[in-house]
Amino acid sequence: MSDKKIKVLMAKPGLEGHWRGMVAVSSALRDAGFEVIYGGNMMPAEIAASAVQEDVDVVGLSILSANYMLLVTKTLEELRNQGKADVLILLGGIIYEEDFDTLHKMGVTGIFIPGTPLADIVEFLRKQTVAMV
Amino acid sequence: MEDEKQFFSGSGIPVKGIYTPEDVKDIDFDKDIGLAGEPPFTRGIYATMYRGRLWTIRRYSGINTPEETNELYRKEYELGQTGFSVATDVPTGYGTDADDPRAFADVGDAGVPISSLNDMETTFEGLPIDKVSTALEVSTVSGCPLTAMYLAIAEKRGLEIAQIRGTTLNDVTASSTCGYHKDLMPPQSLLRLSVDLIEWCCEHVPKWHPMCLDSYPYREQGINAVQELGLILATAIEYIEEEKRRGRLPLDQFVRRFAYNMGIHNDFFEEIAKLRAGRRMWYKIARERYGIEDPRCWQFRLHVQSAGCTHTTQEPLNNLIRIAYQILAAALGGAQSMHANGYDEGVCLPTEQSMLLSIRTGQILQYETNVINTIDPLGGSWYVESLTNEIERRTWEYIQKIEDMGGMTAAISSGWVHREYRDAMLEHERKIASGEITVVGMNKFRLDKDPYETPIFKPNPKSPEIQINKLQKLKKDRNKAQVDKALQELEKVTRGNENIMPATMEAVKAYATVGEITDVWRKVYGTWPSPMGI
Repeated sequence: MSDKKIKVLMAKPGLEGHWRGMVAVSSALRDAGFEVIYGGNMMPAEIAASAVQEDVDVVGLSILSANYMLLVTKTLEELRNQGKADVLILLGGIIYEEDFDTLHKMGVTGIFIPGTPLADIVEFLRKQTVAMV
Repeated sequence: MEDEKQFFSGSGIPVKGIYTPEDVKDIDFDKDIGLAGEPPFTRGIYATMYRGRLWTIRRYSGINTPEETNELYRKEYELGQTGFSVATDVPTGYGTDADDPRAFADVGDAGVPISSLNDMETTFEGLPIDKVSTALEVSTVSGCPLTAMYLAIAEKRGLEIAQIRGTTLNDVTASSTCGYHKDLMPPQSLLRLSVDLIEWCCEHVPKWHPMCLDSYPYREQGINAVQELGLILATAIEYIEEEKRRGRLPLDQFVRRFAYNMGIHNDFFEEIAKLRAGRRMWYKIARERYGIEDPRCWQFRLHVQSAGCTHTTQEPLNNLIRIAYQILAAALGGAQSMHANGYDEGVCLPTEQSMLLSIRTGQILQYETNVINTIDPLGGSWYVESLTNEIERRTWEYIQKIEDMGGMTAAISSGWVHREYRDAMLEHERKIASGEITVVGMNKFRLDKDPYETPIFKPNPKSPEIQINKLQKLKKDRNKAQVDKALQELEKVTRGNENIMPATMEAVKAYATVGEITDVWRKVYGTWPSPMGI
């Protein structure tokens, strides 16, 4: 096993400011040994630029706005435009089940709604990134 | 025999198995408790409390576009509602226009977009603003221009602004520490704008509440009851100290229209004790510490909102039960006005059904349970009195800590307040993970699948387009030279010491936008990087 740490950018696209979930998940991932960059509120283009600059393996998006489909679409578009389409995408927030399939097809690997135990998110990311280490 | 297991309140106060007169033996009835409507107001700020006047049931609303919000308000008015509580969308709240590229996903979501006087006029078209009271639920940065817009409507309708009633939240702590964490202005500059608004309203709009200390959002960040009360009172102290430094108004006049907005949480008796302690502490601050002589200034006028952060996304109907207990605690604690949340807050914006249920929650309590019959029914309970004392003692200690840091603005600027929120939230999450805190249906008794479906409210996806088009048309039609002149004047005033409100009024009347006005302030003061992090 190598010492490479998986690098995660945690960000909240748009202006909506419910930060609790994002800070809780960021802390849990850091405590579990991931290298976490806490981006806070960022616009999609800034998220992509930061993902490129920091060469992250994972981008975690936290959204409690009803317009999550638009925010995710824009962010993925920016990641592609800036040559960072290979990154693993996690999405947390109030996401309706009816949209899960579409989001998965768009390239979102993990979706977590409020009430998900933090340990489950950590475990999920470990499994998903085991091959990267 | 003493129980082996230890019990604690939500803020960590040890709770005994049983209380006796021994626990309250140091209480002096007249000095510490007394009657409602009399110092130290532990039992309530009015002599007759709900026997004389029921608490106000307010509904916080606003959605999609000014046109749709106007339709909603007209309906509310026809239903007999006499107070509006304006929910703005997220961009408006931070002083961002609908056509700002950063607002692309947030226009009309979670509230009404108000970029200019035009939008405010549409929102209140046909509504008698001289007969209602309106709470503008916005932070300081957009609070100044939005208050100016609301009053500008009054002027345009030929009404005296001195007769207009309402509230601006305008709390510098909430404005600096809660919500969106980018491009904020330095806390000291927000304090300046905020105090300017208070001073100006005190002189020109005496029926307006230009200062509603608002700890609801602080509490929602994860802190406990003692921290909430400590922060809101330390914020009030900061305002009084700022006015003392300025020396422009007598403190009696400055404090006269202060109001308070707090959260009400799950720990039933502790929340009741928090409201009782808050009233007594405010009296001591106003009268004993600052020597304010007007008895109306001693009253801790209180609106409460049930705690959204206690809701679960799982089994949303369970939240109705949580809300009902919280609103009962607020009634037993003696609040003047209440907002019961929609049970679906953890799922979506409220549907019509959940908004109606939130009004019914208060009405059932008021008309069916007889809890209104007597004042402060828990007064004299050995437990509640002892808990009230303990919350007061711990809260004074917390306030002292903040004052030792140099007061609230210094505590915010240093990042200490953000760290308090983060640490409390992480501790809460740790306890949920370990099972020390139980959330029914979430970390205990959880079902594999939600047993029912909840109706979902979805905002109109066309709102951004509608608003952007309107705003761009407005920008073409208005007198550009007049706007530029007004904004230049605002910049000049902002760089000096004069009150910013007259120039803000002129700017909104020239149809300068919220974004243009707040950009002037950002230009003068710069932005402040949020201390939030992990």
